[in-house]
Amino acid sequence: MLTREEKERTALLQGTLDLLILRILMFGPQHGQGVARAIQEQSDDVLLVDHGALYPALQRLEANGWIAAKWGVSSNNRKARFYSLTKSGKKQLVEETGHWRRLAGAIARVLGPEEQEG
Amino acid sequence: MLRRKRPLKDFSAELEAHLALETDRLREQGLSDEEARTQARRNLGNRLASEERFYEAGRWMWLDHLAQDARYAFRRLRKTPAFTLTALGTLALGIGATTAIFTLVNAVMLRSLPVVKPEELYKLGKWSNCCVLGGYSQEPEFSLVSHDLYRHIRDNTPGFEELAAFSADVQPVGARQTGSTRGAETLWTVFVSGNYFSTFGIRAFAGRTITPADDRPGAEPVAVMSHAAWSERYGSDPSMLGATFVLNNRTFRIVGIAPAGFFGDTLRPGYTPALWLPLSTEPVIRGEESIIRPPDSHWLDLIGRVRPNVRPAALESQVQVQLSNWLSSHVGEMTAHERDELPKQTVHLAPGGAGVTSLRDEYEGGLKLLMMVSGFVLLIVCANLANLMLVRGVERRRVISLSMALGARPARLINQSLMESLMLSVIGGAAGVGVAYAGTSAMVRAAFGAAAASDIRPDPSAGVLLFALGVSVATGIVFGMAPAWFTVSANPVDALRGSGRSTGESGAPVRKGLVVLQAAISLALLCSAGLLAESLRNLEYQDFGFARDNRWIIRFDPLQVGYKPEQLEALYRQLHDRLQQIPGVLSSSESVYTPMSGDRWTAAIFMAGQRPPGPNEINMADVNRVSPGYFGTIGQRIVRGREMTAQDSMGAQRVAVINEAFANRYFKDEDPIGKHFGKGGPQYAGEYEVVGVVADAHYFPWNVREPITPMFFLPVTQETHYEQVNDIATEIRSHYLHVVMLHVATRAPGLEAEVRHAFAEINPNMSVGAVQSVDDMLHEDFSRQELTARLTSLFGIVALILAAIGVYGITAYGAERRTAEIGIRMALGADRRSVMLLVLRAALALIAMGLALGIPLTLALGRYLESELYGIGRNDPVVLSVAIGVLAFTAVAAAFIPARRAAAIAPMTALRSE
Repeated sequence: MLTREEKERTALLQGTLDLLILRILMFGPQHGQGVARAIQEQSDDVLLVDHGALYPALQRLEANGWIAAKWGVSSNNRKARFYSLTKSGKKQLVEETGHWRRLAGAIARVLGPEEQEG
Repeated sequence: MLRRKRPLKDFSAELEAHLALETDRLREQGLSDEEARTQARRNLGNRLASEERFYEAGRWMWLDHLAQDARYAFRRLRKTPAFTLTALGTLALGIGATTAIFTLVNAVMLRSLPVVKPEELYKLGKWSNCCVLGGYSQEPEFSLVSHDLYRHIRDNTPGFEELAAFSADVQPVGARQTGSTRGAETLWTVFVSGNYFSTFGIRAFAGRTITPADDRPGAEPVAVMSHAAWSERYGSDPSMLGATFVLNNRTFRIVGIAPAGFFGDTLRPGYTPALWLPLSTEPVIRGEESIIRPPDSHWLDLIGRVRPNVRPAALESQVQVQLSNWLSSHVGEMTAHERDELPKQTVHLAPGGAGVTSLRDEYEGGLKLLMMVSGFVLLIVCANLANLMLVRGVERRRVISLSMALGARPARLINQSLMESLMLSVIGGAAGVGVAYAGTSAMVRAAFGAAAASDIRPDPSAGVLLFALGVSVATGIVFGMAPAWFTVSANPVDALRGSGRSTGESGAPVRKGLVVLQAAISLALLCSAGLLAESLRNLEYQDFGFARDNRWIIRFDPLQVGYKPEQLEALYRQLHDRLQQIPGVLSSSESVYTPMSGDRWTAAIFMAGQRPPGPNEINMADVNRVSPGYFGTIGQRIVRGREMTAQDSMGAQRVAVINEAFANRYFKDEDPIGKHFGKGGPQYAGEYEVVGVVADAHYFPWNVREPITPMFFLPVTQETHYEQVNDIATEIRSHYLHVVMLHVATRAPGLEAEVRHAFAEINPNMSVGAVQSVDDMLHEDFSRQELTARLTSLFGIVALILAAIGVYGITAYGAERRTAEIGIRMALGADRRSVMLLVLRAALALIAMGLALGIPLTLALGRYLESELYGIGRNDPVVLSVAIGVLAFTAVAAAFIPARRAAAIAPMTALRSE
């Protein structure tokens, strides 16, 4: 059973970062550092994105055709690679969001109200 | 693995940009330049690792992995030399042996002549015949034609662009280069029509070929030399072109050298013609023995090139019409019997692209058998290989499961197994190609002798090689990958948990089945080998009716050196007296032919005092002319009466000695002594008086399996005066004896030199053929059967070894898997004997199953063997029992080794084996 468990765990972690990246790109094209900063800011600094994991994730999303990339110039005049959401990326985001919400809801129900926790 | 192209540089630039942006951000938050840069770098983590991960996701990874896998596979193969060498040996043997056999078959049976557009060539006669046929009827079809009939067909069949004729048999001639100090040597020649070379589309390598202008009575005698004779006998001497040779006392000029590789119309290993001579020179060479004139002496084979757009069927009917036209114009000369047979006479055309190839007819049965056998060997090779790979695969299961548990990708693990199989296949295949090359030339040498190796190109055929290679490689790959495939799709935890103790395993029935199959096929092959060897012994050491020990045959030709008929008697007497003086010679005698000397004369006979033969019967008998004392010399037993003596002279009553078959056929219940018969027509029925009966003897090597035919012997000292021209010519020719038989006390080393010296003393120009012992000739005559038997035995042994390896492998593997179980049994008090039995029992069950399957298989396959057997049934119980015994013994011995090893293990070691 080892492999299957392992596979699921990995998939979950990957899926989470992917979902967040797609969500951030909903607001418009952004470069890698910008995406990382946005996730951190919007989660009130709860989610710290490991920059080393960020780029392989972007790579993967690009390979899947969910995001597209091109070189551009940042607000403070630096050259950067900007990512934007593609049509199939938007579809994927809607699907994954629904899936995640259901999962989060289910986990929350199992865990029960916060007060009961001793 | 192929992805969109994104260079690593681009990725690095993106990371660089990230660092710059992050540094900007941190600086805005109030960090110093230095601090911001460090912090940004720390946040990004190991940049090199990121770049590596990016690179790994790129498209070149598979190549990297391939190189890695190859190194790994090589290392693993080197660590298990026993497995590797067994697998490689199996592959090399299988591919090599199969290819060699198929190449031999291809060279002899299927290869086209080295001529232009062989598919356009058609030959007269579906079945090949030799050497001279007389009369106006041929059964079952006309296959040989006379010179007269050849010209008739050639001039009246428009469907042939060209039609060439050539003598069906090779003619030995005594040849001596003018002005050379070398003595006369015997060369093989073929008489060919003027358009022979143009029909085949062959141009001379040097000089010119024979043309129609050469093939005319009165033209200057010319000859074309074969490239092989030119290079091997005369050292590629350019002065050969235009050189003159004395052939049987007449001068011939060499006008051309044939191209290399052209061996003529027919593959005749050992008798490849050295010279081609125009048909018109036949009387020059054969002199009194010439047969070019009589219209009913058929000695020519025909091959023609069909015109474009002429259907073979239309061509055949054209030729059939011409044959009946020709026959009708000769009705006047026919016998009553031939006139009756006239409506039945026909002729067929057959594709001639492969030449006349009586060789094909001769070897076909044996080669087919060998093809079948080699197919079986290939099957066993594949089974063995499959088994080896499966065992290895199962052994790798723990490693694979562990790798999977540690996160290795399944595809990568399967790739590793594939790489190992591929590597084995490639190395084994290369070794197989080597074996094929060495084996093919060795086999051609064994089959036809070293001299023939240049006639039959012993290059392995590429198609066959690829086939054998493909089959073996595919087997290796499939069975190499299958276990890995099953393992990765199984649950690694189960595999790890069950290791070493599981009692059942998935691949076992397949592997056991393969071993059973191997044993069964090995039994069939062993049995075939035994039957063929036994049959050969029966054939070669049967009672031939003549003596084979200390008998020597010498061929000579008084005609070559121009002896006239009236000089012959003196020559034979001189020869006889001179040969008797050689120390150790007990007796000598001359004859037209002897047993196994390879000639045959047949005549229609007429019995005195019996009603003349009916219209549909014809009384035939073989005839031979011999010198006094002949039967004593060759060791043919006199059953009744006497043998010929010097008293049977010209003036005395003409006498004949007949064999038992003759007596039984033509004098059924009567005493043949004193009876009369004759040949040449009913008017000669009183010509010969039977004075003796000899035991039957096999004279003809080509039909030793058939009953002996009636035969009679005439003394060389007498002759009959005939009226017909043909009969007179035949009578004269029959007095030219060609073979001397010597009976010696023991084999003297200098015998050949003494014999040559004796001949040279009598006439220095007379060429003498090889001095051969009858025993050797018998061996030679059975060389084909011997080859078949020997190769089958070889394959049988290979199969036996492979089966033994199979049994050993599966037993050893089984014992190893049960090491822990054995340890427990021994700890609980089992002794070594019972442990050995435990291991052996499994092997014995497999062997028993193999035999149970093999016996019916052997009996079923015996049908294909039947035509090759002589004096032994295809279900011979002795051979079958011996084969079963050998196989069982070998297999048990193979299983015994691992069983003893298992029993010798210390119980504690066994228990700790986890």
